[in-house]
Amino acid sequence: MSMRRAEKQLARVTGLILLALVLGGCVNATVDEMTYNEPVAGIGESSVVILGRRHKPDYDTEFDFIECIGDHIHSGDPSIEVINEIAFINQFYPWFEPRTAPLQPQTIDQLLQLPPVAARFDEIKLEYMIWIDGNTENTESTGSMSCGIGPGVAGCFGFGTWGTESEYEATIWDFTDKVEVGRVSAQTSGQNYMPAVVVPIPIIAPVQGTACDSLGDQLLEYLSAHH
Amino acid sequence: MLCFTLLAAGCSTKQVVVEGNFPKPLLDPLPITLGVIYPSAFAEHEFFDEAKGRAESDWLVKTGEAQVEFWDILFDGMFDEVVHIRDWETVQRRAAEIDGVLIPAIGDLQYTIPTHTNVKIYEIWMRYEFRLVDIAAIHQQEDGALSFNPDEHLAAWPITAYGKTPTAFLQTDEEAVNLAAVVALRDAGAHFVTSFGATPDIAVWLDGIARREQDAALSSSDDASGPQPIAQSSETSSSVEREPDSGGTL
Repeated sequence: MSMRRAEKQLARVTGLILLALVLGGCVNATVDEMTYNEPVAGIGESSVVILGRRHKPDYDTEFDFIECIGDHIHSGDPSIEVINEIAFINQFYPWFEPRTAPLQPQTIDQLLQLPPVAARFDEIKLEYMIWIDGNTENTESTGSMSCGIGPGVAGCFGFGTWGTESEYEATIWDFTDKVEVGRVSAQTSGQNYMPAVVVPIPIIAPVQGTACDSLGDQLLEYLSAHH
Repeated sequence: MLCFTLLAAGCSTKQVVVEGNFPKPLLDPLPITLGVIYPSAFAEHEFFDEAKGRAESDWLVKTGEAQVEFWDILFDGMFDEVVHIRDWETVQRRAAEIDGVLIPAIGDLQYTIPTHTNVKIYEIWMRYEFRLVDIAAIHQQEDGALSFNPDEHLAAWPITAYGKTPTAFLQTDEEAVNLAAVVALRDAGAHFVTSFGATPDIAVWLDGIARREQDAALSSSDDASGPQPIAQSSETSSSVEREPDSGGTL
C-alpha cells in the first residue's frame, strides 16, 4: 500500500517537473517608451551615466541591474561611453548619495555652482544622466519540500514554485539643457520552479535579465546613431 | 554532535568590524585650521545587542575604526588643515593657529535585520553629537588626559544618518550589516557637509573667522612691519585657568 502511494507521489512530482520544464523560463514583459529630442547623430565623444534611485524607504534599485544596463548599451554600441555607477558616485561624493542626489534636472544647476563639481562634470563630458527607479521582488510561493539526512544518504523530495516581478522606469536627463527628454519603463514577471527528487533542481525565470534587456534595448535605440 | 552544533550556532555572537572604502569629498576646502579630537568612546565605538530569544544571535558591531577612517577623509577634504589633537603638547604648540576643535560623539545606534522585522532590508541608524569648542576649552587633567567643559562650546548640533541594504543572494547577515553601516557613514558625511554652514552657531563662527582674517589682512597692509597680534592668546590662557575640569574626558 505504502509502495503504491510512493509510486503515485513520484509520478506526481515527475509530472510537475515536466510541467516546470515546459513553463520554466517563460517571462512576460511590457515595455513603454516616451522619448523626444533623440540625438540622431549619436552622442559623439560625450559620456552617459546610469544611476539607480535609492532614496525610497522600502527598496533600492540594485547596483547589478544598473551595471547590466550599462553593459547592454556598451556592448550594443561600443562608441557609447557608459560611466561606471559606483565610480561616478565616489567621484562626486557626497552629491549623489540618496540624501543629496538631485530629483529634478533643474536642480543640477545648483550643483554646478560648486566649482569642483562643475570642473569634474566638464572633465567627464557628460551628455546624458539616466536614472533608473525600481526593483525586482519575489512574490507568492507555494509547494512543499522535505529534506532528510541519514548515514551515507541525504536528499530532498517535493516541489516548490514562486513568482518574480520586476518593475523599472528609466528617466533620461539631457545634461546640457538640464531637461528631461524621455522615460522608458519595463515590467516583467515570471514563475520559478524547484522540483526535487533527491537533488533540488531550480528552474529560474530570467525576470530581471529580461527587464535589463528590454530597458537596455530602448535606451540603446535612443542613444545610438546605429540602432 | 550535529544538534550541538546547531544549538551553538543559534546562540553564537555575530560580529561585524565595519570596513569600507570611503571617497574623498568633492569640495573646495574651507579656509580653516580645524582641530579634531576623537574621544576613545568614539574611536573604539562598538555596539552590542543581546539576543532576545534562542533563535536569535547576539550582535557585536564595531564601528570605531571605520568612523575614524571615514571622518578623517571627510575633514581632510572639507577643511584647509586638520590637526589631530591627541595630547596636551599639541594643544600648546598649535593653539594659535587652530580656529576651533571638533569633537564628535555617537549618541545612539540602532539596527534592524530581516529576522527582527520580517522586511527584507538591513538597516542602521546613527545619531551623532558634534561639538565645536574653542582650543581654550581643552584642558589637561592630572593624569595627562585631555578634557573639556561641555557647556563651553561654540556650537553643538546633532547629525543623523541612515543606511540600508536589501537582502541579496549569497550575502551573509554580517556582510549586509557591514554594507548598511558603510551606507550610513556615507550618509552621515553627506548630512554633515550639507548642514555644516547652515547650522546657526557654525555660521556665526565662520563669519567670525572670515572677519578676523579680513581685519588681519587690512592691518598687515596698513602696517606691514608690525607683528601680527594673536588676539586669542590672552583669552586662551585666562580661560584655561578660569575653567574647572568639569567636562567630559576625551
